[in-house]
Amino acid sequence: MSAAVLGPERRAYLGLTAPALALLAIFFVLPLAQVLWLSVTDPRPGLQNYAELVSNPLILRIWTTTVRVCVVTTLVSVVLGYVVAYAMTRVSERHRGAMVLCIVVTFSFSILVRGFAFVVLLRSEGVLNSALQGLGLIGEPLRLLRNETGVVIGMVHYGLPVAILALFSNMRGINARYQDAARGLGASPFQAFRLVYLPLTKPGIISASILVFIYSLGFFIIPTLLGGGRVVMIAEYIRVGFEETLRWGHATMLSTSLLVAVLLVLAIMARVVDLKKVFGG
Amino acid sequence: MSASAFGTAFRRSLLLASAWLVLAFLVLPMTVVLPVSLTDQRYLSLPKAGLSLQHYRAFFGDPVWLSSLSQSFGIALCSATAATLVGALCAIGCWRLGGGLASAIRLLLLAPLIVPTIVQAVGMYRLWAWLGLYDTYPGVILAHTIIGLPYVAITVSAALATVDPRLEQAARSLGASGAQTIRLVILPNIMPGLLSGALLAFASSFDELIVALFLTSRAIATLPKRIWEGIQVDIDPTIAAAAMCLILLTLLLMLASVLVRGAASRRMRRIAGAPA
Amino acid sequence: MGTGATTGVGVRPHSLQVRRLTKAYGDQIAINDVSIDVERGRFLTLLGPSGSGKTTILLAIAGFVTPTRGQILLDDRDITGLPPEKRDFGMVFQGYALFPNMTVEENIWFPLRVRGVGRSEAAKSVKASLELVQMGHLAGRYPAQLSGGQQQRVALARALVFQPNLLLLDEPLSALDRQLRGDLQWELRSLHRRLGATFINVTHDQDEALSMSDEIVILREGKVEQIGAPADLYARPATRFVASFLGESNFLAGRLVATDAETFRIAVGDATIVQAGRPAAAGPDGDIVLALRPEKISIGRSRPGTVNAIRGTIVDSKFQGASHHVQVQTAPFGLVKVAMQAWGHAVDLAPGAETWLGWSPDAAVAVRSDG
Repeated sequence: MSAAVLGPERRAYLGLTAPALALLAIFFVLPLAQVLWLSVTDPRPGLQNYAELVSNPLILRIWTTTVRVCVVTTLVSVVLGYVVAYAMTRVSERHRGAMVLCIVVTFSFSILVRGFAFVVLLRSEGVLNSALQGLGLIGEPLRLLRNETGVVIGMVHYGLPVAILALFSNMRGINARYQDAARGLGASPFQAFRLVYLPLTKPGIISASILVFIYSLGFFIIPTLLGGGRVVMIAEYIRVGFEETLRWGHATMLSTSLLVAVLLVLAIMARVVDLKKVFGG
Repeated sequence: MSASAFGTAFRRSLLLASAWLVLAFLVLPMTVVLPVSLTDQRYLSLPKAGLSLQHYRAFFGDPVWLSSLSQSFGIALCSATAATLVGALCAIGCWRLGGGLASAIRLLLLAPLIVPTIVQAVGMYRLWAWLGLYDTYPGVILAHTIIGLPYVAITVSAALATVDPRLEQAARSLGASGAQTIRLVILPNIMPGLLSGALLAFASSFDELIVALFLTSRAIATLPKRIWEGIQVDIDPTIAAAAMCLILLTLLLMLASVLVRGAASRRMRRIAGAPA
Repeated sequence: MGTGATTGVGVRPHSLQVRRLTKAYGDQIAINDVSIDVERGRFLTLLGPSGSGKTTILLAIAGFVTPTRGQILLDDRDITGLPPEKRDFGMVFQGYALFPNMTVEENIWFPLRVRGVGRSEAAKSVKASLELVQMGHLAGRYPAQLSGGQQQRVALARALVFQPNLLLLDEPLSALDRQLRGDLQWELRSLHRRLGATFINVTHDQDEALSMSDEIVILREGKVEQIGAPADLYARPATRFVASFLGESNFLAGRLVATDAETFRIAVGDATIVQAGRPAAAGPDGDIVLALRPEKISIGRSRPGTVNAIRGTIVDSKFQGASHHVQVQTAPFGLVKVAMQAWGHAVDLAPGAETWLGWSPDAAVAVRSDG
């Protein structure tokens, strides 16, 4: 039986949500609305800012780079994450605890610190190259920084924990006996995995992919640090344009296009999986 | 050992080895910061002749770095407090309202986590300037409160999901007002979730960079902003010492949240212990 | 805190009236024009299957549901708009809703605490309440450390400690096992008698309703089906629904063929039944349904001396300790359920055995079968 809340009670509970709603309305929704507004009114009303999306080769290139880096990051994160998440379902409680600890520690580390660590590691004169040269494995230092390889390495480092947690929360709900049952019915281990387990983990794969993808789209710190000006993704470009030219119409158009891209991916995701579960709401 | 048992064991070892290799990729790069911060060299590198605390001395001896540390701490403390208060009240309201309206409010509360921070920062810039909040502490605290809200909303909603809604009705029927019900019945039962939400909000503010870059100029330089500028300009090992401070703080926060959870589960054990 | 303050526990008896109460959620009507009078000091039970609206009525009385129409009066005072915390009704919730973060003692102290009762006075009341339910020795425990029965007692003590105007019980025994449920039925009865307070209980369990209540309100699809004392409702169900919900019944559907001063006759197939009373429940074309309790039918090898008697064949029987339950196939009525005491009879209950069934004209009761 539903215990519906009384009229005046309902108002009281709405009242509890009021401060948060007011804060978000004024300091979150309003600025976003302003971004949308400026993108079609500055410097003059019209869609000419958006025309740049197709006419300006620089913006086109930056969007292409952004999407390419994000797709590669997502693929690598989800494939590697799948291995870890799958292993997590097959080990003892203690063993899993150790794995979770690694993931949570990584997750909670400041992205700035992670970016810094990769700069230290991957520079030409950095720790990794020095070590490899010291061991005589390579003659010339590897170029790992200021290119897409470096950016992808750093972004995978951020995307992996996200992917693992999303995949694991899906796999945890799958009964391990399904694969046993498939084996019992004559399937090889590989067939049991491909025909039974993999399809069951599809929702996890989708939500992991999309989470990693949308977080990657707006990434600023890692691409800026590890791309070193050579690999420019959309967020860095917005920042640079904002700092140097202060062309509001331009900056807000780019921001809007980024926001729309994120919402678009999210909308696709909402059709496939329950968003509330993905964001833990 | 039969061939199939061997195959099973082999597949398992392969799986675990690959998994741990991936986990090593996650954890090992982080550890490089510690030796680099202890380097005896004047540039960013591993220690050569021995360990040295010179860069920590430089960090703690520099009023500029110390000021950044305390600025970040103060901003994180204020914004986490505000986010926890506002976010928890809202989550409690949604919990009892239920239905489509509550779902919509929860989604809005999560939005700052979904909308790229850079987009929010671009939007905030003008409004903050117009309200006189640009390059002020209240300005940064306000922006960080918005960014911290989703964390509180998620953890508190998760904690509330385990609370029997009848507890609230029971409190009311026993004569408690709405405020008394929240204070005496609901809050004590969601404390672990509330505290971990507060810690997450604190952490999210403490290492937040993008908003700090957009909304501050000369008056405010948070620790992440200072580190960022340091990396951009010249890579001086003092940054490694500063980064270690961020790392230590993260680990402290994690330890705190483990202790909070530990205390909560001890309490649950005490509460749920078998009748003597 | 009222006159009972010296003893710490005690409930002033109050009367409650529910007047033409209706609650609609959009198109869905949860309760439909329900009127109930609860006299001072009565133990009233709202009984019905799930979805019958019984819990909604209780929640409306408690103040958690705002009625769409209608009034709730406490001693003739309209309390319909009063918030729950201002009503001073003790309530025992389904699952008890004990506060998990508080000990037994703190739980019971809670209503006094929010009323600002002084510490020493509160301590006395809490102690008296704990003793009332014999839980004094577990005062320091947390709810999760208690058994279901103990939790139920704490919930009762908590609901009674502030001397509420009435006590509302929402499925108070449903979470307990059968044995304990039986024991606690006795305890609730005795508590009710000792306190002399007004109790309103909600249950879907007919045994619980029959054994504890002074009065039962039977609800069906948001409407009152019948109100009465347990024995009256059992003996004289007004409708087919009541007859089947409260205990078991055989339904004999026939057509009215003759009426005289004290009895009437109905034809069911080839058989004719004599029934005492007036055929008030007959439909316009003479259709009538009789409800006949299984235990009011006698069973024997030869034709019984009762007015109504028919032949049948035993289909099956099951032994239930104190009684045998028998299914008998009869030509006019189909399958008839018969209950007989399990001792002191000599009837062949083997399937296939021929047998006679008999009952007197006042054994059955004519019921309305509409709706």
